[in-house]
Amino acid sequence: MNVFDNMRRDTIYRVPTFLIFLLLLLALAVPVTAQNSPTSGTVTADDVNAIAKQMYCPVCENIPLDVCSTAACAQWRDEIRIQLQQGRTEQEIKNDFVARYGDRVLGTPQDPTLRALSLVTPWMIAALVALVAAVVLVRWWRGRGTAALATTGSVAAPSDDDYRARLERDLQARR
Amino acid sequence: MLAEIGFVSTFLAFVASIYAIIAAVYGGRQHSERLVASARNAALLTFPLLLVATGALVIALIRGEYQMSYVWSVSDPNTQLFYRITALWGSQKGSILFWCFLMSLFAVGALVLNWRTHRRLMPYVIAYTMATLAFFLGLVVFYENPFERWWIVGEEAVEAALIPAGAVAPSMQRLAETANGLNPLLRHFGMIIHPPMLYLGFVAFTIPFAFAMAALASGDLSTNWIKATRRWSLVAWLFLALGLLLGGRWAYDVLGWGGYWGWDPVENAAFLPWLIGTAFLHSVMIQEKRGMLKVWNMFLIIGTFSAVIFGTFATRSGLIDSVHSFARSEIGFPMFFFWAAITVISVGLILWRWNRGELKDEHPFVNILSRESLFVLNNVVFVLLFVAIFWGSFGAPVISELFMGEDITLGQDYFLRVTPPLFVALYILMGVAPLSAWGATSLRRLGKALLVPLALTALFLVIIVVTQHTSDPGALFGYGIVSLAGFVALYETYRGASARRRSIGESWPRAVLALFTRNRRRYGGYIVHLGITIIGIGVIGSTLFQQTTQRTLAVGESVDFGGYTLRYDNFTNAIADDGRQMQIADVTLIRNGQVLTTMRPRHDIYPTQPMTIAASYSTLENDFYVLLVGWEETNANSATFKMYINPLINLVWWGGLILILGTLIGAWPTETLPVTLREPAAVNGRARAKA
Repeated sequence: MNVFDNMRRDTIYRVPTFLIFLLLLLALAVPVTAQNSPTSGTVTADDVNAIAKQMYCPVCENIPLDVCSTAACAQWRDEIRIQLQQGRTEQEIKNDFVARYGDRVLGTPQDPTLRALSLVTPWMIAALVALVAAVVLVRWWRGRGTAALATTGSVAAPSDDDYRARLERDLQARR
Repeated sequence: MLAEIGFVSTFLAFVASIYAIIAAVYGGRQHSERLVASARNAALLTFPLLLVATGALVIALIRGEYQMSYVWSVSDPNTQLFYRITALWGSQKGSILFWCFLMSLFAVGALVLNWRTHRRLMPYVIAYTMATLAFFLGLVVFYENPFERWWIVGEEAVEAALIPAGAVAPSMQRLAETANGLNPLLRHFGMIIHPPMLYLGFVAFTIPFAFAMAALASGDLSTNWIKATRRWSLVAWLFLALGLLLGGRWAYDVLGWGGYWGWDPVENAAFLPWLIGTAFLHSVMIQEKRGMLKVWNMFLIIGTFSAVIFGTFATRSGLIDSVHSFARSEIGFPMFFFWAAITVISVGLILWRWNRGELKDEHPFVNILSRESLFVLNNVVFVLLFVAIFWGSFGAPVISELFMGEDITLGQDYFLRVTPPLFVALYILMGVAPLSAWGATSLRRLGKALLVPLALTALFLVIIVVTQHTSDPGALFGYGIVSLAGFVALYETYRGASARRRSIGESWPRAVLALFTRNRRRYGGYIVHLGITIIGIGVIGSTLFQQTTQRTLAVGESVDFGGYTLRYDNFTNAIADDGRQMQIADVTLIRNGQVLTTMRPRHDIYPTQPMTIAASYSTLENDFYVLLVGWEETNANSATFKMYINPLINLVWWGGLILILGTLIGAWPTETLPVTLREPAAVNGRARAKA
């Protein structure tokens, strides 16, 4: 049962942390609270979750590691905790997981090609659309004079709007 | 017997829909009224047949006919009556049948309402709606049959619609004992009505698509198809919006993420047709008013329908895995084929008509600041947003796996990098476009119209800075852009009512009411914009300022977090009526020394899976959201809690309600009386005014 496993591991790693913390608190004669706020050398669940949030569950695709309740995810979070306790940085931990399980463990791949493919492509498409829009705009701008001439030339033939307005007036008069 | 009734009815509906397609196309081409009427009758017949089929399945679920493998897989003797009924869409097979039922209902509605007024379009409307229905019925009949039964053949249990040779029926008691029960994730109000809302949205978009294709096929390229389907499009859009909102609420309450939107591919699959559909709703107004963007509108409605079918394919085929998706199944290839075929045929039809010069715009673009130009820009941004989300959800993962052999996941990190600039552009356009005029607007006039909304926005930002002590420039920029759109909507409504007061001398309530009565579409749209603004403020607050922490507390201990104090009081084990085990923590929430509430976050253990059920304390300011994530095994003297503070999150739900209200106002039918009937009323009105 993942929750029990999680709790058991939590307990194992919390015992020394808690004792050290308790000693510190006693020494400083500060009232004891239930906080396990981060201090140098301690690894809190928040520290673990801050990294886990950027990673994805190995079992249930598309669920961030910090919120997944499967046993596999609890185990990965414990691995992050251990690596943090060993003094590894966030990037080193992420690199380690990517090396072992591939780029899919992260929300954005680390491999330069995959990263470029993922992040640059939408902007390239946007740039392409902007380019097409600009071309259309320039063509429209250049053709505006011609359109204006065409409109001037067709003064004798009333526009659709004029025709509708006249129709409306005629209808009003008949009512 | 219910299985036989259901299967035969479904099969007959399948045959009727195929006949309707053939008769409608042939009748349309031969100008045979008799054949087209026959096609219509066949199409109408699908509804009662599918009503019988769906009814048979619902009755089987209620009666607990576990010999039907679908009933066995989604219910058990402990399942409550309510969940037995909703189990109709609790798994793939039943949900496809339900989809077919809704499709036939909408097709019948479209045919009955438009038969006399749009006769030229009807043969092709029948053909397209029935082609879609026939495809899904084909899936039910040949791949995902909910009327299959369990049989014992030799030593093996097999599922089959027809009795296999030498088969015997298994014992009912044994089947009842081993039945699966409904997926625990689906036992939530949001999840009960979220799928039908999405299906209604998906199915309803088939109707404008069918009319658009009918216009192309028949050559009636006037705005008839748009007028006939305006309300269908709005209704479809509303149902999709409702489905998305309810899905978000379900995720928030049940999945224990502390959030409502995870950029999961299945969530995105439902969001994509909504985006293109929104672009279509805006763009189609330009065709109605100015006779422009005919080709573009056709592409947008095809894109919307195509996104609907692709989303269904992605969710049901196993292309992507997600907590929202159905299991991998055999329907992937047929669905992909249908999606590709319908898209290619539709695009082919557009290009054919375009090539013949039949889709030319009636007016040119005159000014870059005109309303139509700004609507086009808005469309471009919607399409870019569509592309960015599609790429992150399906494009990049599938391409990297197929061509680079690397399985990748693009999560929140990707979406929060790529989409914000596009959302900013959308909100800016939402603020500016309503102030521009059709045809042409000068920059000076637009700037003048923006003065008051800009001043209100500045005031709003000052209030935020002073009262909330927010100095994050990104957040203030976001709040400013989003609130500008809302203030424009409010100011435009104020201006309209004010003009009525000045010219007619109406009171404020009467003037506002008259505005909404006379131009429901415009002012309903402003209410929708206001709803989207409120949602935007909620999203910014809950995304940028969310706080989270995880703490282990002993009984009686408390933790201070985000201005609140949480005290762990007690731990209980219980067994619910439906047999699940519950581990419940009693916690008390305190603020400024005052007890606000007691909450009971819990852990439910079902035979199939555990679930973490959050407890939350909601105010307009924020939600205090707490999850029980662990406890001491022996006596629960200590327990671990994950806590979130989600600022302004309730604005997302309130904004959603306002959006629904606005859409209903916009879609509400306007009674148009003939001139002869209007005349006396108008005369009386004028007489009263003179008096």
